[in-house]
Amino acid sequence: MTILTRVARLPFVTAELDALLRQVAARDVDAFATFYDNTRARVYGLVTRVLRDPGYSEETTQDIYLQVWRTADSYNPAAGSPLAWLLTLAHRRAVDRVRSEQAASQRESRYGAANVDPPSDQVSDSVILRDERRQVADCLGSLTDAQRECIQLAYYDGLTYVQVSERLSANLATIKSRMRDAIRGLRRCLGMA
Amino acid sequence: MTEPIEPDLIALATPYALHAMSESEVADIDRLIAAAPAEVAQAFAEEVRAIRETMAVMSAATAVEPPQQLRDRVLAEVSGAPVVPLRRKPRRWQTAVLAAAAALVIGLGAFAVGQSLRPAPSMAEQVFAAPDVQTVSGEIPTGGTATVVFSREKNAGVLVMNDVAPPAAGTVYQMWLIDEKGPHSAGTMDAKAVAPSTTAMLGDLGDSQTLAFTVEPGSGSSQPTTPIFAQLPLI
Repeated sequence: MTILTRVARLPFVTAELDALLRQVAARDVDAFATFYDNTRARVYGLVTRVLRDPGYSEETTQDIYLQVWRTADSYNPAAGSPLAWLLTLAHRRAVDRVRSEQAASQRESRYGAANVDPPSDQVSDSVILRDERRQVADCLGSLTDAQRECIQLAYYDGLTYVQVSERLSANLATIKSRMRDAIRGLRRCLGMA
Repeated sequence: MTEPIEPDLIALATPYALHAMSESEVADIDRLIAAAPAEVAQAFAEEVRAIRETMAVMSAATAVEPPQQLRDRVLAEVSGAPVVPLRRKPRRWQTAVLAAAAALVIGLGAFAVGQSLRPAPSMAEQVFAAPDVQTVSGEIPTGGTATVVFSREKNAGVLVMNDVAPPAAGTVYQMWLIDEKGPHSAGTMDAKAVAPSTTAMLGDLGDSQTLAFTVEPGSGSSQPTTPIFAQLPLI
């Protein structure tokens, strides 16, 4: 699989976030503010999608950015893009929070089998280009229902793949290959493969 | 998990990269990767990395603007301003003073770490670093606390309001610095600025001995038009 060093479609370039992270590692508060402004909607949106609670989401997002402030010097450009580093960190914390709150069953009963619909909230165009947003949503829509369901449960709902297999009454090998095919489908659709 | 062959390990890269595993499963994978041949470990790492780059791009689909106060809180925590905790209950003034002192220490720590790399310190940082810095704090009768960290040498202070009820619609809270000649406006706070906590700079303390609060109509007044409902001695 190709190693990705640049994702050309991003409205802000990897190089810019990379430079900001270096400044953040040097305790530059202004650079940190710019980094926050360039990434806040992606981070908060993902956390909200996983936690589904505004209060928890704000707390967790705050924790995520404090972790960025404390650990920016651990970011290694050779290991991936700054955005992937940040969103991996953010998703990890959101999933940890979901599991520690043991809220999965309550959320489920409140929201039912939620689909990955594009949120209606307006996001400023300087942060996320409208075209990009639509294309990404279209790519999610291009998956099979079974693939999308797997991504929904495993990534956006914070279930383990074993829990996903129990939920869908499918064996583990099937779930693993569905998840893998889903990611490959997204990569192809996004022009990243 | 026992003696998995290589394709099984790679197949687990997806749930691994998506955090769709229990902690013990993650630990199992990490052990297997550490013991695997270098090319297997590298293939696994590249798969994980590609998946995470994909989901980073996918984050455009779920993007939502966070509330403005989140930005204020995040930046306050790293900028050396007094830290206003997120989940703070109303407290007695003794606790507020301790909290303000703790915030001050955190502020000074951040200042000391950052000072060689940052532009000129803000007035708030100069106040916190001043040799004559003082803190006064008190309860607002209608609920919440007000704390002022100030320096006569710097002729400035930082006001921290915690859990203060917002002013009624159509009115603002106005701060007054009072000296021998009478009250001088030190700014206003509307409902949006007050809840749930806020900080404000107080410039030009002069010879003022008291910081007082009144409720004023509209966007504020040139002189107090209602009785003072709270005050802090600046001594």
